[in-house]
Amino acid sequence: MDINEFLTTIKDKGALTWGPSNTRAIEHANSTLQTKKCAMLPNFIIELYTKTAGINLGSGYIFGPTELPNGKNFPIPSITKINDEIRNIPALKNKTVFGRNDLFWFAFDAFGICYTLNNTNGMALRKYDDPYRALYDCLMGGKI
Amino acid sequence: MKLSEAAATARISDLGMDDMPLVEFTPKPATLSPDWFQKYRALCHQFMETLTDCATEIAFMNLSQNEFMGLVTGRALPRNTSIRWRIPITLGGELSVENMFLCRTFPHSHQLDRFIMEQSGNETLWLPNPARAIYIPTHTATGGTGGNATSDRLAQMAAQIAKDNSLG
Repeated sequence: MDINEFLTTIKDKGALTWGPSNTRAIEHANSTLQTKKCAMLPNFIIELYTKTAGINLGSGYIFGPTELPNGKNFPIPSITKINDEIRNIPALKNKTVFGRNDLFWFAFDAFGICYTLNNTNGMALRKYDDPYRALYDCLMGGKI
Repeated sequence: MKLSEAAATARISDLGMDDMPLVEFTPKPATLSPDWFQKYRALCHQFMETLTDCATEIAFMNLSQNEFMGLVTGRALPRNTSIRWRIPITLGGELSVENMFLCRTFPHSHQLDRFIMEQSGNETLWLPNPARAIYIPTHTATGGTGGNATSDRLAQMAAQIAKDNSLG
């Protein structure tokens, strides 16, 4: 699966996407993550952000480099805010959380390897070879 | 190790939910059946259909009529809405409607994930356990107009849906 196949597939499932992020916002998010000692954005996420600043399907979310407006609802936090708030959770050390649904969290490490995390303790439950599969599982897990 | 009740109450208050009741729970080893996700999805729809009893809480969720109908007929969750386990199934909670509650995803459900994760490794955990099937913070459930729909109107719609369901 590549980025375009992923976006086409997930939109067909009913996912909402936002407009593309600009280079400056992506660079700012990346340097903020570095400052906070989180894993920096891997290429697949940077490529995703150049197409869309975030994705939502049911309770599944892919966080963007900036806070996202959510209609009349509470805005969707940015990837930097999410990861700044969870720095005190030991199991998440050296990972960056990029998505969530009501059952699991999703993160990548410094090598860009993606994981499904238990949302009660942050421990890795699954490691992915294909990052787009991780993005897909994150969103589809929120579609009930 | 475990958090004292006072420390847990202070932390949940820091996370913006000072009115969230907490229950102390000792995690148990859990095994999940291979079809747990299918059961979970079916339970979510069943759970939504039970929410006609919570018209007052729904009225304060500021839902459109379409979102309201989708919710109480079990068709679709409104945006920014989460169904949570009272006791997570990975900690020994049951796959049952009684073990579920509904709240806003941001900020509440996400903050509740944080609250639970921050206690990981403790012998006992403090878990959110709202009194009703829908958690609406007290500060948003008092005063104001109730959003796009008044409590009375949504209560009437919920009663009609419940009546229709019982006739079906």
